[in-house]
Amino acid sequence: MTTSHVDPITLSVVRGVLETTQREMTLALEKTARSSVFNLAHDYSTALFNHTPEMILQGQDIPIHLGSLIPAMKAVSDFFDGDINEGDLILHNDPDYAGSHIIDTCMYYPVFYKGELVFWTVCKGHLTDIGGPVPAGYNPEAREIYAEGLRIPPVKIWDRGVARHDVLNLLLTNMRARRDQEGDFNALIGACQVGARNLVALMDKYGKDVVQDCIEELLAMANRHMDGLIVQVPDGTYTGTAILEDAGHGFGDFEITATVTINGERCHIAISSPPQVPYFINSYEGNSYSGVYLGLMMFAQLPPPYNEGLYRNVTVDMGPKGTLCNAKPPAPHMNCTTTPMETLTDAVRLAFEQAAPAKVSASWGHANGCNIAGWDNRHDEEFVTMVLASIISGAGATATQDGWHACGPQCCFGALTSGDIEMLEHSYPIVIHEYGLITDSGGAGRFRGGSGTRWEVEPLSGEMTLVTFGEGRRIPAMGAAGAQSALTAKKVGRLELSRNGATQILTDNVIETLHPGERAANISPGGGGHGNPFERDVVRVLEDVRNGIVSVEGAQHDYGVIITDAENLTVDHEATARARQA
Amino acid sequence: MTKTYRLGIDAGGTFTDFILSDTKGDLRIFKTLSTPKDPTQAVKNGLALITAETGLSAEEIVSNADLCINGTTVGLNALITHTGAKTGLIATQGHTDSIEIRLGHKEDGHRYDPNYPPATMLVPRHLRHGIRERVLSDGSVRTPLNEDDVRAACLKFRQAGVESVAVSFVWSVLHPEHEIRAAGIVREELPGIHLTVGSQLYPQVREYTRTSTAVVNAYLAPILQRYVAAIDAYFQDLGARRPVRYFQSNGGLAPGNVVTEQSVYAINSGPASAPQAALDVARPWAEKNIITCDMGGTSFDITLTRNGKANINKNIDFLRYRIGIPMIQVETLGAGGGSIGWIDDMGLLQMGPHSAGSEPGPACYGRGGERPTTTDAHLVLGYLNPGGLVGGRLPLDVQKARAAIKTHLADPLGISVERAAYGMFTIVNVNMVNAIRRVSVERGYDPRDFVLMGAGGATGAHITALAREMGISKVLVSKLASGLCAYGQIISDVKYNHMAPAPLRLHGAEAAKTLNDLFTSLEARGREDLSADGFSEGEISVSRTLDMRYVGQVHECTVEIGAFDVTLSTLEDIKAAFHARHKELYTYDEPHNAVEVVNVESTVTGHLTKPEHMHVAPGKSAARALKDHRDMVFNADGVAQNTPVYDGGALGAGDTLHGPAVIEEVTTTIVVEPGWTVTLHETGTYLIEADTAPGVSRRQAALAVA
Repeated sequence: MTTSHVDPITLSVVRGVLETTQREMTLALEKTARSSVFNLAHDYSTALFNHTPEMILQGQDIPIHLGSLIPAMKAVSDFFDGDINEGDLILHNDPDYAGSHIIDTCMYYPVFYKGELVFWTVCKGHLTDIGGPVPAGYNPEAREIYAEGLRIPPVKIWDRGVARHDVLNLLLTNMRARRDQEGDFNALIGACQVGARNLVALMDKYGKDVVQDCIEELLAMANRHMDGLIVQVPDGTYTGTAILEDAGHGFGDFEITATVTINGERCHIAISSPPQVPYFINSYEGNSYSGVYLGLMMFAQLPPPYNEGLYRNVTVDMGPKGTLCNAKPPAPHMNCTTTPMETLTDAVRLAFEQAAPAKVSASWGHANGCNIAGWDNRHDEEFVTMVLASIISGAGATATQDGWHACGPQCCFGALTSGDIEMLEHSYPIVIHEYGLITDSGGAGRFRGGSGTRWEVEPLSGEMTLVTFGEGRRIPAMGAAGAQSALTAKKVGRLELSRNGATQILTDNVIETLHPGERAANISPGGGGHGNPFERDVVRVLEDVRNGIVSVEGAQHDYGVIITDAENLTVDHEATARARQA
Repeated sequence: MTKTYRLGIDAGGTFTDFILSDTKGDLRIFKTLSTPKDPTQAVKNGLALITAETGLSAEEIVSNADLCINGTTVGLNALITHTGAKTGLIATQGHTDSIEIRLGHKEDGHRYDPNYPPATMLVPRHLRHGIRERVLSDGSVRTPLNEDDVRAACLKFRQAGVESVAVSFVWSVLHPEHEIRAAGIVREELPGIHLTVGSQLYPQVREYTRTSTAVVNAYLAPILQRYVAAIDAYFQDLGARRPVRYFQSNGGLAPGNVVTEQSVYAINSGPASAPQAALDVARPWAEKNIITCDMGGTSFDITLTRNGKANINKNIDFLRYRIGIPMIQVETLGAGGGSIGWIDDMGLLQMGPHSAGSEPGPACYGRGGERPTTTDAHLVLGYLNPGGLVGGRLPLDVQKARAAIKTHLADPLGISVERAAYGMFTIVNVNMVNAIRRVSVERGYDPRDFVLMGAGGATGAHITALAREMGISKVLVSKLASGLCAYGQIISDVKYNHMAPAPLRLHGAEAAKTLNDLFTSLEARGREDLSADGFSEGEISVSRTLDMRYVGQVHECTVEIGAFDVTLSTLEDIKAAFHARHKELYTYDEPHNAVEVVNVESTVTGHLTKPEHMHVAPGKSAARALKDHRDMVFNADGVAQNTPVYDGGALGAGDTLHGPAVIEEVTTTIVVEPGWTVTLHETGTYLIEADTAPGVSRRQAALAVA
């Protein structure tokens, strides 16, 4: 149990206050932000760091940001080393300083106490635009990062308490829908302030030294906790390889391999990926950490709170610079928080499937979605947004239950909220014809993967640009523990464009222009199944058929359940037994 | 001459509380076990108990009552146990899955938990039918209603034995005609079926919220209808003068037919009466800013009232179902007397949310409980009388409490039993303080500007500690504390919420006129209902709220305004109120940016006369009520000090005493920490005030929570 000199009761109190602080920062962000990507998608993180700077608390927010703020904070603090003053506020997005992708903007606020730097409050959020040639930043045609938007190395937007309006103006002038971006800057700044206020009050009450001792102990406890999980895994080397499909770049499919070496309480994860490519799927090192940590978390299955102590005995080698998972400038990268991150996560997950088979769950549907942009004639103004509803996929099944429907993508792990369709139609000049679950989309297994979704849109106010991103359109989400599906075509994503009475199916990332009367349906994949589908309880298969989650055809091919009368769900038990033996 | 009574019956999870008041200020509390399988039975049992204790027959009370008021958990229980009616949903084609997609979200706190199950569907997918029809965001019809689709759905419902139907279409709030016509067809096809129409139940923008609210309502309506029919008939037989009024989670009363139509309003009604009770108890001090804390066996409920108005929640997840209608905000924490102390995987001491309940109960009950609970900590710290709770009817075993704390907490942590007990007490307090922040700080309020009021049997042990932690200097605890919610119900008013969507930007004469017309028409409906219910114009009041945001924001903040004419100039006042509220909540505002409204609401209230306060005879001296001394711990060092114990029943009005002390009432024990002074007021309320602050440290303590 506790081994330090810290009073155990004060320790619990300090932990409670830190969690409340993080929660209040999150709420402030969520309620005030303009960008639906961050206030609905929860595509943001709030974190607290100590002065060293080591992450002392991250909310359970979104896996995309799991850990990626750790190297980013260090890069920012190094950049301004010796020049960090009370009242400074630093902004940054550049992946070469361990940012994730440039549309994620981070604010770093140093918290001083009696003249001394003690903490940092940090927020990161996905804006709706970051300049560049393509609205919302995702440019499948970019061959360099410069064609994706504005790179912002660490820059002070407040200097000793004075806002640098010229710098802010420079940044905002380069972005679309300026009002929204400015509002989101304000939301990030407000959240940092809320955090700082609480931390100062905590030190007023217990004294700086006591608070710091408690935090040191919380980090040590998290470290011991993760050690305890890893030490249960037999020593050895475990390897997982996942395939990243070619979503339109023409370079073919890629393999990403994770090699996990367990030695006592130590865990080393080495990543091997092909050379970087002139397409927006490269991941710089900071972002890749999130993919690795998500794979680790799918094994560890820890409840919050999370701090950097968890990773003290976890070392990561992201492979040589200039590779897909350890990119260097000028590699384009905008898609990185989903592609290749989810494949990277799959590779780590597969390695752990060998290391700790009892704890493994199936992969979730990968992100494949769209951004929309155009002119809103109702208010005579520009609009641009990522459509969160378009990337809601099915969750992977676990060793104990079916995957949740409509809960992915994997990189978000249920942290998203997709937004009310009336609110979307109120905010943007569109009509959403469908937002529903898809029959047979969940991976077959003893426990079934969750269903993916279909999101169909039509513009109402002149032409609308639609940009797609992601993958998971050819390779379905991976099952676990022997799960496999027969009807794989129904388990992958795609874009269906309906124009002039014809429907075109697209599996590449594209930029399309839609007019009123034309429709685009974005289909998100289902999650992977868990275990042999022929062992799935027939009653549960029938319940799925009754609810249209599985078709009669799916029951036969995916589950070996032969239904002779679809209306009354009559089963031919003999034929079923035969089919299931095959 | 016979007296006039008012009877309140508040069904809780474990107990059903009865409160009987008469016009002379005589108030009495009675408790009987709840009977969840047949909720009407507890009502009959309770009335029999009252007869046994007072000699008054049920007929005598009911026929001489100006009002009988009932708060029920029937709806809540049906939602918890998923035993509502078999329900069907008629929705816009393409959108029948919104209640299952749930915005694609998995609840926070369970992100990497492989065993956290999806929410149980109240309407399974095969009972959800899509209808070809579509209205756009400007209210225009894109696709007319396909009536054949509605009839086909009805056929399926009939075959499936559906009891209740919800109809909810996209943008029906801007063009209700499709829903109304569809409802008409359902009535033709399925005569006598329960019907919930989304745009009538909850006419607000947000399809998922509206559909989900309609589904919950439809799921509960048949259950509530059966309950209300039974209660109404029973009271009618007893000679009730007026129909029974039911307490709703919006903090108001409504007759049975309204509760049946709008069952969703009844789901969390019990604790929602605390603000009303608090305002009444605090009336002698004219306090209108009050935080109430109600600690029972398994949970701790908090409400906040500011300027005489309770915090309201809209569009929240309740028991994992999205519910739009306004409900009094009740923040609930798994921290009761039975909450178990344990050490987590990280090695940290935690309290709750697991509870020992009433069986086996805390270790000190001696009924086989071995885990240390909050009550065990109270006992070890000396706060509780080892002679027993409830006037000695429940003896407590100190040795068992000590053993449980030693084995499970003190030894593993390497500290003394007393320190561990005080640690348990402290962690419960911290959990409570963090929960109180959710109703105060997160709403932009400084808790130091509030009075703290204790309710429920177990709160008294924590009340001065909580006030100290929050920097609150004034505390009120009524002798009725253990039945405060039942009391709140008998002094509540009849209340209706009328809502409308108003998606418009807040500028120009047209916007002002639209808003003004909306409010006027909403309130006309409310006045009509109340007038039909016998309220005169002078007994009716109105309050208004608007859900507003900066254009581009996704979430709104709710701003309350007066019932003034909305004109070009008052439009500016409304905007100013929004900027101010935004700044209060989020540290900044953007006065140069455009503001838009999403939804509006008027609350129309019919005021009822209030019963008299309790009256306590003047006392001569607190010393006369001194009954004992016990060793008690008030410090983290675990060192005990000899502390006086007073008999609350022997204290008179005006009697004053100083902490450290304990006051024992029959159903509650009040711990007065050092540094606090207590005076019993003639209305039966203890006023507990912080002694003059010793300066800096107190201020620092206060700042720490602001």
